[in-house]
Amino acid sequence: MLELQGLTRRFGAVTAVNDVRLSIPDGQMVGVIGRSGAGKSTLLRMINRLTEPSEGRIIHDGQDITALRGAALRRWRTDCAMIFQQFNLVQRLDVLTNVLVGRLNHRPGFMGTLTSLLCLFTAEERALAIQALDRFDLADTALQRADTLSGGQQQRVAICRALMQEPKFILADEPIASLDPRNARTVMEALRQVNREDGITVLTNLHHLDTARHYCDRIVAMQAGRVMFDGPPAALTGEKVREIYGVSEDEFDEQAEEAVKPKVQRAPKAGLAIA
Amino acid sequence: MALAQPTPDQIAALRARYPRAFGATPRTRAIRAVAGAAALGWLVFLFWWFDITPQRLWNGLSGLGVIVTLMIPPSPGEQWVEILKGIAESIAMAFLGTLFAAIIAVPLGFMGANNVVTNTLAHFSLRRIFDGFRGVDQLIWALAYVRAVGLGPLAGVLAIATADIAVLAKLYAEAIENAEKRQAEGIDAVGGNRLLRTRFGLLPQVLPVMVAQALYFLESNTRSAAILGVVGAGGIGLQIAERIKVRYWDEVAFIIILMIAAVALIDTLSSRIRRRLIGDREGIAKR
Repeated sequence: MLELQGLTRRFGAVTAVNDVRLSIPDGQMVGVIGRSGAGKSTLLRMINRLTEPSEGRIIHDGQDITALRGAALRRWRTDCAMIFQQFNLVQRLDVLTNVLVGRLNHRPGFMGTLTSLLCLFTAEERALAIQALDRFDLADTALQRADTLSGGQQQRVAICRALMQEPKFILADEPIASLDPRNARTVMEALRQVNREDGITVLTNLHHLDTARHYCDRIVAMQAGRVMFDGPPAALTGEKVREIYGVSEDEFDEQAEEAVKPKVQRAPKAGLAIA
Repeated sequence: MALAQPTPDQIAALRARYPRAFGATPRTRAIRAVAGAAALGWLVFLFWWFDITPQRLWNGLSGLGVIVTLMIPPSPGEQWVEILKGIAESIAMAFLGTLFAAIIAVPLGFMGANNVVTNTLAHFSLRRIFDGFRGVDQLIWALAYVRAVGLGPLAGVLAIATADIAVLAKLYAEAIENAEKRQAEGIDAVGGNRLLRTRFGLLPQVLPVMVAQALYFLESNTRSAAILGVVGAGGIGLQIAERIKVRYWDEVAFIIILMIAAVALIDTLSSRIRRRLIGDREGIAKR
C-alpha cells in the first residue's frame, strides 16, 4: 500500500501539486490524467523523489519514503522503476547493456561496483536480460545499439530495464506520448501485462481518456495540482469530464494531444571541440 | 517483484542461441589479446628507445623541484615595463592573428562544405589542401616568416593566422555540413540563388558556432603566442627564454603568473561573449 498524504510541491509562486491525498493498494493499475501543467509529472516524480515534495508525506507499508536518504533512497528508486516519455535509454549502448543497467543497484559492495564499471555481468544476469527482452519479442535486437530501434521498441526495452530492477511499482510518465498509435498499443499492453502477470503496481500519466479507461483499473483526474476525480473508469463519464475541465471529452483529448507533442526539433549543431 | 532466476539449462540454451550476448567470441578475444600484446610491446620498446627509467624520471623531478624553489618568491625584476610590454604584444598578436584567420576562414569554410560546393572534386581537393596546411605547426610558420618579414610581431601574427586558417576553415566547413537542410530549402523555394541561399539559409545557423570557435582559438593562441617569441616572432616568449638562459627563475615565475592571469581574463571575457551571442538556446550551448 502506497499512501500520499497531503503531497504538495511549489515552484516559486506556482503550486504544481496541491495537497494530493491518495492511497494505492498493491497490484493496481492507476491512470493519472490531466492537462499539461496539471501536475501529473511532478506527482509521479515526487514518488521516487526525483522531485522533492515541499510538503506532505509518502508512506509505503509503514515506511516514510519522504525521509529516505543515500543508499535507502536509491533502494527505493530501485523499487519503483520509472518509464519516461522519451525512453531515457543510453543511445550509444547496446540494448542488452541498457537492460542490464536495471541490475546496477542489485550488485552490492565494492566488487559489485567494480564489475559494473567494467561491464562484467554474470551469465545469469545476461540470461535474465535476454529472457526479459524475449518476453516482448526483442531478444533478437539485444546486440544492436539502442538508437537503431523504433520508439515503440525503445519504450519496451525501457520496460525490460524496469523489470530487471525487480520493482514493486512502475511509474510511467506519458509512456506513449511520443509513439504512433500502433506502438502506443504495444507499450500499453506491455505495461498491463507486467501489472497483471507480475503483480507490479503501475502508475501512469496519460493524456488520452480512452487509453486510461481501456487499460487502467482506476483513474485519477488532476486539474491545477489538485485531484478532482478518483474512481473506476466507468464513473468518469463525459459529464464528469465536462464538470472538471469545462470542455467535452473530445476537446480535452485534443488539447492534451497538442500539449504533449514534442516541440519541433532543431537540427544538431556542430560541436565546439577544438580539433 | 522478484524475477525467477534462470536455471543452468536455460542459461545454456540462451547462450547457444545468443552466444555474443554472453561475451566476445573466441576469435574476437584472440584478436583483442594479440592487439593488447602488440600495444604493450610497442610501449615497452618506446621506453627502451627513449631510455625512460624510474631513475631518470626521479632525477628530473628533483631538478624541477630545485627550479620551483628558485621561483619563490616571484619577482618582477628591474625590467618589468619590458615584461608588461611583451605580454601586451603577445595578446595583440593572438588577437590580430585569430581575427585574420577567422575572417579568411569563413569563405574557405563555405567553399569546403559539400552542401555548398557540391562538386566532389573541388570539395575533396580543397579539404586536402586544408589538411596539408594543418600538418604544418605554428612554430614552423613562425620560423619561416621571421626569415621572410624579419624579426618581430608581424611574423608572429602571420604565423598564427596561417596556421589557424586551415583548422578554422575545416571546423567551419563541418559546422556548415551539419546545418539543417530544411531551412536552406526554404530559401530555395523562395527562388533565391545559391549565394542568397547560403547567406540566408546557412549563415544564420552557423555564425554563432563560428564566433564561438574563433573565441576558443583566441584564448588558445594567447598561450601559443608566448612560444613564438622564442624564435624571434615577437611577444613575451623572448623575455622568458632569455631569463631561463641566465637562470632568473623568480622573474620567469612572475611572467608565468602574468600570462596565466591574462589567459584567464580572456577566457572569462570570451565565454561571456559566447553566452551573449549564442544564448542558452537549445543546441550549441549544451553541446
